[in-house]
Amino acid sequence: MSQHAAIEATGVRKRFGTRDVLCDVDLVAHHGRLHGLLGPNGAGKTTLLRVLLGLVRRDAGAVRLLGSAIESNTEVIPEGVAGCVEAPSFYPYLTGRQNLSAFGRLDGRDRSGVQRRIDDALEHVGLGAQANARVGSYSAGMRQRLALAAALIRSPRLLFLDEPTNSLDPGGARDVRTLAQRLAHEGTAVVLSSHDMAEVESLCDAVTIINHGRVVFSGAVAELKKRAPAAVHLLRTSDDDAALTVASGRRGVKVSSAGEGGLDITADVDALDAYVIALGQAGVAVRALESRVRSLESLFLELTARAAAGEESEAVSQASDEQMSVALS
Amino acid sequence: MSIRGLGAVVTVESLKLLRQIRTHVVLAACVFGPFAFAAAIRVQSSLPTDTLFGRSVKDSGFAVPLVILGFAALWAFPLLASLVGGDIFSAEDRYNTWKMVLTRSRSRADVFTGKVVTALGFSAVAIVILAVSSMTAGVLIVGVDPLVDLSGFVRSPDQALSRVALAWVSILPPAFAFTAFGVLLSVVSRSSVVGIGVPVVVGLTMQLFALVDGPEALRRLLITSAFGTWHGLLTEPPFYEPLYHGAVISAAYFVVCLAIAYGSLRRRDIAG
Repeated sequence: MSQHAAIEATGVRKRFGTRDVLCDVDLVAHHGRLHGLLGPNGAGKTTLLRVLLGLVRRDAGAVRLLGSAIESNTEVIPEGVAGCVEAPSFYPYLTGRQNLSAFGRLDGRDRSGVQRRIDDALEHVGLGAQANARVGSYSAGMRQRLALAAALIRSPRLLFLDEPTNSLDPGGARDVRTLAQRLAHEGTAVVLSSHDMAEVESLCDAVTIINHGRVVFSGAVAELKKRAPAAVHLLRTSDDDAALTVASGRRGVKVSSAGEGGLDITADVDALDAYVIALGQAGVAVRALESRVRSLESLFLELTARAAAGEESEAVSQASDEQMSVALS
Repeated sequence: MSIRGLGAVVTVESLKLLRQIRTHVVLAACVFGPFAFAAAIRVQSSLPTDTLFGRSVKDSGFAVPLVILGFAALWAFPLLASLVGGDIFSAEDRYNTWKMVLTRSRSRADVFTGKVVTALGFSAVAIVILAVSSMTAGVLIVGVDPLVDLSGFVRSPDQALSRVALAWVSILPPAFAFTAFGVLLSVVSRSSVVGIGVPVVVGLTMQLFALVDGPEALRRLLITSAFGTWHGLLTEPPFYEPLYHGAVISAAYFVVCLAIAYGSLRRRDIAG
């Protein structure tokens, strides 16, 4: 394993017109880890990936990929860096295999070397049977798989995946997640951009959350979980008034009426268990208990909402960027 | 930029071209078009007398490629020259594939140069095929009789062949200038319609400007003026000054267009 982090990006800024898309973004991702890049739509995740892949010029900041400093967008991205941003695109008049062959040639591989890698990659993404059909006839899911194959033929040590399970059926999504985990296990640094908290939580070791172009959290998923508030559940009982009475005065349990009937319970697992037992002892039947907002999801919403609120107040009070980042952290 | 990188891009772009039906249609038209033209001339009673060497197309097969050369200069050369150059960059925008191409192991300089070399190669191949096909059609359908040149001097078949070949070679510089113009439009507009269509319209407009007898200094600065410089090769004695001048003007257009195009691609954010 290299002594360098796979990605060391510091102070990355990008402005389109008058809009700051990235504001002093730092990102460090390590070999052998899955690093989630999380944020709502329009947060700046894809722009950050474009900057890291040299597709978009940064206005400020420093980027090192696999130990190599990337000075400008006109440089060749280092060997071992691969990825695709947004919806994958190919030449529709070429077959899947011909597309991969073209990209493999651009990587400088000879013809026989390319064919071997293509066969392996197609097998990994489960596209072998359709490889000789024109890409124009592919579904969105097949294109997603082909994009993954195009990345794999570069034998990546740093792989960027931008919402890779979009357009995939559940089986395909599971295959992609398994592949990402396997690559990380083999030492590849995998950066997974997503707006799906559950996907990042289940796959990633570390996460960077971006909102409105600013990093609002960066660290281990375990650390994020520690900071997560209690989960919210929807509770339906035989007697909601009695359930409210049972809840009053209990530590760690917050109960309120849900708009559509039933009760919203905010509690951690232990407090929730104790409350449900107490309901039974009080003769209140529990008819349904379902997860409403997961704990990390609620933290994510809280972090992004705080950032948005912070931006609004910044507009009013002209607070400095420095003050803002302190407030967010 | 590296030679290896350039070779990789040229190989990939050439393979992509060969897999497009459009390429085969255009090259087939270059092969068979002159035969159809020569056959039509042979069977019809009237001659294209308003064109240089039009009166001689039934007398000497070497007049056929010269008549085709005159016709093609109006719009076919700008079209042939920009057909690939005007599309080779904007096609990546159309298919949204820049993000795939520029995340491989090739620099923007490699990609730009490779695409330009491929576009120039296509222009040259198409023109060479058209030239060879025109001469073959003339020789096979009309015959190998001597050619009377613009000074009334009778050229033997050997002399006629070499002069006709030189005349076709002389249109390569302005054709390459049109290719570079197509490349510029393709990069800047990101539209193949603009990249291919505008050079044809500009070519026709320049020809019209020359026809209406505009200022001589300005006429000499038009790329299309270089398409007619071969006339000096078919006089006795031949005069070469217009050829040099045409080559210089073409080179100037070529360099300026490619420099602006590369600067634009280099600075561009692939953000779409």
